[in-house]
Amino acid sequence: MSRVPYHELKARERIAAICDRGSFNEILPPPERVMSVFLPELGIPVSFDDGLIIGRASLNGSPVYLAAQVGQFVGGSVGEVHSAKLVGLIESAARDKIPFVMLIESGGVRLHEGSSGEIGIAESMRAVFACRTLGVATIAVIGSDIGAYGGMGIFSACCGSRVMTEHGRLGVSGPIVIEKWMGKQAFDSSDRALIWKTSGGKTRYLLGDADVLVDDSTDAVRAGIISLLGQPAPVTLGSVSADQQRLEARLVQFGKTTNPDDIWTASGVTDIAAASLASGGEFANSYPKKSSAQ
Amino acid sequence: MSPILSQFFGDSAANLSVTNQILTGYASVGSTEVAVIGTVDGTYVNDAAALQLAAHVLDCVQSKPGLPIVMLVDSAGQEPNRTAEMLGLPVYFAHLLSCLQVARDAGHKLIAVATGKAIGGAFLCYGMFADSIYALDSAQLGLMPVEAMAAVTKIPVATLEELSKRMPALEFGAKPFALLGGVQEVWPADGALPDLLEKAIASATTEDNRALLGKERGGRTLAYDVRQRVLAESAK
Repeated sequence: MSRVPYHELKARERIAAICDRGSFNEILPPPERVMSVFLPELGIPVSFDDGLIIGRASLNGSPVYLAAQVGQFVGGSVGEVHSAKLVGLIESAARDKIPFVMLIESGGVRLHEGSSGEIGIAESMRAVFACRTLGVATIAVIGSDIGAYGGMGIFSACCGSRVMTEHGRLGVSGPIVIEKWMGKQAFDSSDRALIWKTSGGKTRYLLGDADVLVDDSTDAVRAGIISLLGQPAPVTLGSVSADQQRLEARLVQFGKTTNPDDIWTASGVTDIAAASLASGGEFANSYPKKSSAQ
Repeated sequence: MSPILSQFFGDSAANLSVTNQILTGYASVGSTEVAVIGTVDGTYVNDAAALQLAAHVLDCVQSKPGLPIVMLVDSAGQEPNRTAEMLGLPVYFAHLLSCLQVARDAGHKLIAVATGKAIGGAFLCYGMFADSIYALDSAQLGLMPVEAMAAVTKIPVATLEELSKRMPALEFGAKPFALLGGVQEVWPADGALPDLLEKAIASATTEDNRALLGKERGGRTLAYDVRQRVLAESAK
């Protein structure tokens, strides 16, 4: 068993460590050179996979369609080709009724490709919800340093379930953007502890946005994904009505505070300093998940 | 009441309510009754706004089965706010999208019209999820204006402007967005909007044809073919 830190690995290493040994079959691999037409025009190096690795694999013997973003390539950002590969993969999952799993590592739309990446993310959202309607599991894994922000933050939240580690972050606007628009007193983007308390896996888990919080290791992430493969999370009038009440209650309870510790305290965390240092798995064991109806 | 609402909904615009720049209600387009959700005056969308819009979608699904839902978009983006992020802004946006999916699955047609600003996360969190998306020719659509793009990417404005003549994805506005397939059609802001909207409702299907449109119009040349290649390879 390996205890390799998930967040330190690159996308292909993550895939190799998480899938059943040797089971990953890449679709449109780098030799196919399916890549951006925008970046060469801007004098920026291209990548032969456009920063997204897609394929079919097995997890614990079950087939999955798997995508992994490459954070080192333009921040894991989503351009035209990147999103088209993603949409094709999600539509394959819907067609074959096979779970879709994505290792997210992205700040959102690739600015260099303008609106084409934005439309691509919108298409990906349509495809993900089509899977959910069909009862196909859709799982976002958020455990990299870049996290899931912008359009990819929204996309991750559209998936039926989320696996997070203590390193993962889920948001729309990142700290640098908020500081730029609202000032340093609104969000000090150099305050690492505050950033992780605001958007990190532990707070997201306490609020119910991460279904599973696990250690920052490939084994734990793999086990987290496997635990969710049988949970397709279709959207129904019943499920969204319950979510409406839950999210309204959250806004009433915490909408006036600026201190994430208030959320931790209200969720039963008594020793905040110790909980801050706990691994994802330790944290989840100390604070078992409430049922999603609560 | 904003003039654009009277233009679309005539006298029935009086039945709509606007609270904190968030639009909800029921109105008529010609002879078609519709539910309306939207944003006005270029407001930011935040968690409370997403809940307000979602609540109206749920009301429509529960009390007016099958009624078309019209979404008007005039929003500068998501609110940059640390408390909203702490509460889980992506989850609030995804909840609004989930409600729209429930409506779609229940047979409600979803039509979006970008009437003003339709930028970034504010467009993604409801308008771009419609069955069919339209824009007024005066609307400002896109990821961000060229100046903002230049500031973030460190690529000179002049370079981006020159490139945007060949690459509509880099240009800001309704027409370039349509070339990418992001909207079905651009409507003149002073045109017969109720007729156009009524026809749009009648012709809407749940098929997402944006990549194909982008290819046919030459603005997004690779998306459709790459997707089809993935589907073909995965079927082997």
